[in-house]
Amino acid sequence: MNKELELWKGVLSDGTKKSKLEKYIKGWEEKIGSFLEIDLNRGAYDSNESGALAGIPFGVKDNIAVKGFKLTCGSKMLQTLVSPYSATVVSRLQQAGAQVIGKTNLDEFGMGSSTDNSALQQTNNPWDTERVAGGSSGGSAACVAAGLVPFALGTDTGGSVRQPASFCGIYGLKPTYGAASRYGLTAYASSLETPGILARTVATTKDVFDIIKGEDERDQSSLSYEAEGGQVKTIGYLKIEEGALNADVEASYKSSIKRLEDLEYTLVEVELPTMDYVVPAYYTIAMAEASANLARFNGIRYGYAPFMAENPNELMKKSRHEGFGDEVKLRILLGTYVLRSGFQDQFYVRSQKIRTAIRNDFEKLFTKVDSLVMPIFPTAAFHHGSSDLDSFQQKVADKYTCVANLAGLPALTIPSSVENGLPVGVQLMAPYFGEDRLFEIAVKAEEKYPAPQPEDFDLEWLS
Amino acid sequence: MSNKYETFIGLEIHIHLEANTKMFCGCKAQYGDEPNTNICPVCMGYPGVLPMVNEKAMELGYKVARALNCKLSKNTFFERKNYFYPDMPKNYQISQFEEPVGVDGWMDFDTPEGTKKIRIHDVHLEEDAGKMIHAGDMSLCDYNRAGYPLLEIVTEPDIKTPEDTELFLRNFQRMVRYMGVSDGNMDEGSMKCDANISINLVGKGLGTKVELKNMNSPRFVRKGLSYEEERQADMLDQGKALTQETRLWNENRDQTEVMRTKEEAEDYRYFPEPDLPIFRPDQTFFDLVESGLVELPLTRKHRMMEEYKLSADQAEYIHDDLYLADYFEEAVKLGGDSVQLFAWLSSDVKKLLNRENLSLQDSPLTASWLTELLELISSEAISGKIAKKVLDFVFSDKKSPKTIVEEKGMSQVSDPAVLTAAVDKVMAANPDVVEAIKGGDNKQRGFLMGQLMKETGGKAAPVPLQKILAEKLG
Ligand SMILES: [Zn+2]
Repeated sequence: MNKELELWKGVLSDGTKKSKLEKYIKGWEEKIGSFLEIDLNRGAYDSNESGALAGIPFGVKDNIAVKGFKLTCGSKMLQTLVSPYSATVVSRLQQAGAQVIGKTNLDEFGMGSSTDNSALQQTNNPWDTERVAGGSSGGSAACVAAGLVPFALGTDTGGSVRQPASFCGIYGLKPTYGAASRYGLTAYASSLETPGILARTVATTKDVFDIIKGEDERDQSSLSYEAEGGQVKTIGYLKIEEGALNADVEASYKSSIKRLEDLEYTLVEVELPTMDYVVPAYYTIAMAEASANLARFNGIRYGYAPFMAENPNELMKKSRHEGFGDEVKLRILLGTYVLRSGFQDQFYVRSQKIRTAIRNDFEKLFTKVDSLVMPIFPTAAFHHGSSDLDSFQQKVADKYTCVANLAGLPALTIPSSVENGLPVGVQLMAPYFGEDRLFEIAVKAEEKYPAPQPEDFDLEWLS
Repeated sequence: MSNKYETFIGLEIHIHLEANTKMFCGCKAQYGDEPNTNICPVCMGYPGVLPMVNEKAMELGYKVARALNCKLSKNTFFERKNYFYPDMPKNYQISQFEEPVGVDGWMDFDTPEGTKKIRIHDVHLEEDAGKMIHAGDMSLCDYNRAGYPLLEIVTEPDIKTPEDTELFLRNFQRMVRYMGVSDGNMDEGSMKCDANISINLVGKGLGTKVELKNMNSPRFVRKGLSYEEERQADMLDQGKALTQETRLWNENRDQTEVMRTKEEAEDYRYFPEPDLPIFRPDQTFFDLVESGLVELPLTRKHRMMEEYKLSADQAEYIHDDLYLADYFEEAVKLGGDSVQLFAWLSSDVKKLLNRENLSLQDSPLTASWLTELLELISSEAISGKIAKKVLDFVFSDKKSPKTIVEEKGMSQVSDPAVLTAAVDKVMAANPDVVEAIKGGDNKQRGFLMGQLMKETGGKAAPVPLQKILAEKLG
């Protein structure tokens, strides 16, 4: 176990430390609102007290099931639902001793890049409370950046772990598709999403990943983990068009490339010909899958139900009309549209072809380079509301992150620099099951440039 | 129906597979339990759950596809069929569309005009929905059945008459029962059959297709189709156009009624199920499917006709039930005469079973006991008439026919001395009757025989008795 986790070990079983933690959390939560539900005791019963991570708290994005905790998905639809079971990734961490202390805020059902699409609460960026923490795993990123927990779980469908990690100045791992079980992750876009890890150090990211990874019989799309291995010598960096990134992000990206060269990697500029098709293909597939995945919420077995309905069909209609937010409805409608018979070739099938082309692009690329460095988002954390970026611009901005989801490749956000008071990160990518390569580069970079800390970050009380 | 029209009937048959657990979770697949007891987060469609394929159901699906002579898929996969229904937890059904377990098969079945062949379009696996009950102003859902493994068999529109359809369905039911993949009971809902029917002027090909639902026995399928055939012919006779629609069979009114028209038909928006990988069976799996094949009912029927000299009707009766067919063949092996066995099984044994409300399986009459009974008759130890009484006792006392005959002293008396003594006694007691017979009144002989049977407790062997009586009367 790494030094950071060693420091956190037993915090929840030590009365003094526990109350200090409680106080520390309370202070921060008044400013950032990262948790939707928090309880330092409830999770103890489900954690293995002799595990290596015993007494270590962690947060879980509220679209991941934890038995006995709510599973709201940031939606009015599921505001009252308490999960009857736990996700495999959660159970594995509990088996290792770690304890869930709460559920973190998110964009409703993971749909968004700001966490402002949560129907239940606003989450602010620990670096600037006027700004968003990113999304959709904004709550998980904010609580980790503020030091409330050493790590948190998120989900990454199109950048939902990496983008908030970048906005909050921490590490964010989206593993290879199939490397970590999706059982217990409320499905949004099943073929794209994976559970992900948000942490302040590479070591903790890696330790948590080692615990959650591997085949799960409950997720038949999961695979047994066989590391790709191989040493990193050459890193490709994506050629970026003039003006595609805002100035701060561009400066940060350039300095990251320089830093990697300083670490004695060979850097070569690369291009991804399919990059322009990424966003339409991504949203077509994501919305198509979402339209089916969210069909189960109908107010009958659990979740929001209207005060009254004349018949079962009206009950379903009213529940969905009143329970879902606008962004969710938009995506369900578009998903239904692209799957209509007679239109599939034009939309869904074509997107799958683009997806194959993207995979082929990467396959070729990884014969030339061992890893890849790319921007994450064209801007740093933006202001609440749509004054900086409207909802359409936010979707277009998913370009750099959703490509890893389409290809199923692993990607890791590493903090790069702080520009005008806001952290900016870059992402590293590797071939399938090449997480070790990402960690190898990240550890070297971390030695010189560790994750920055926001003002009021203070873990003195821990030691 | 006038013979200027030709009829085309196709079927969509659903069977519940006997695969112990549900299609995508570990819940018991069982009927009759308290509502909502065989459920879990997976089959209730909770957020975050994922399906796990029931391998047994997969195997049974391939077995049926194989038995129906289908081309078996080497890379079958599931798809989502999207539609909203209150008792369907996910509001999509995991089913198959592009690449089902089997395609392009056929099945033979017997009709009075001979054996006919029906082509099978495809065989695919899917999950069942729950059950909704409307009670007053409430609607209640029971999800015990949600996720139950279903196999759907789709035929080409090759069936020509409603009567043939019933025969085809009965043969299909026998097939799944012989294979042990499903009990095939339509009245209990473990087998369902939707039909599509179109008629057209002879030689003009398929007409406008009407789908029929809600028929819960092969007989109702026939009745529904007959009604529909007539209705459509009347429409065409009157020069009216038929509409493509779905109709429900109303068994109380003996008629079909419109359920929905083509315009209201759902667009299911099929797309591949991202939660389940493509299933690529290996040689071991195909070997398992092959080794599980059994002799199918029609083959068995034809073999029985050949081997045991049974008529088509007799073989039809015997092979209809797998247990009866096995029982019959066991009895033949033990030395029973096939024609006698058929005679007893189809009349006296059947009557007793009905009276006692028992199945052959649950009755005390084993194949070896029935054979034993037939031996007692053929060796003249008992008469056919006594045998019926012995059979009664087998059912009530649960003892073998031999034991019953011995314990109750029911064997025939054929000893000439005993019989002569009885004849003498009866003749002595009825001198006027004897005189009348001797005077030529032969009708009175019957009376004397009656008296003699009474005297011997019904056990006198009739042939030697009659001979002795005739001699005495001169
Ligand atoms: Zn279940």
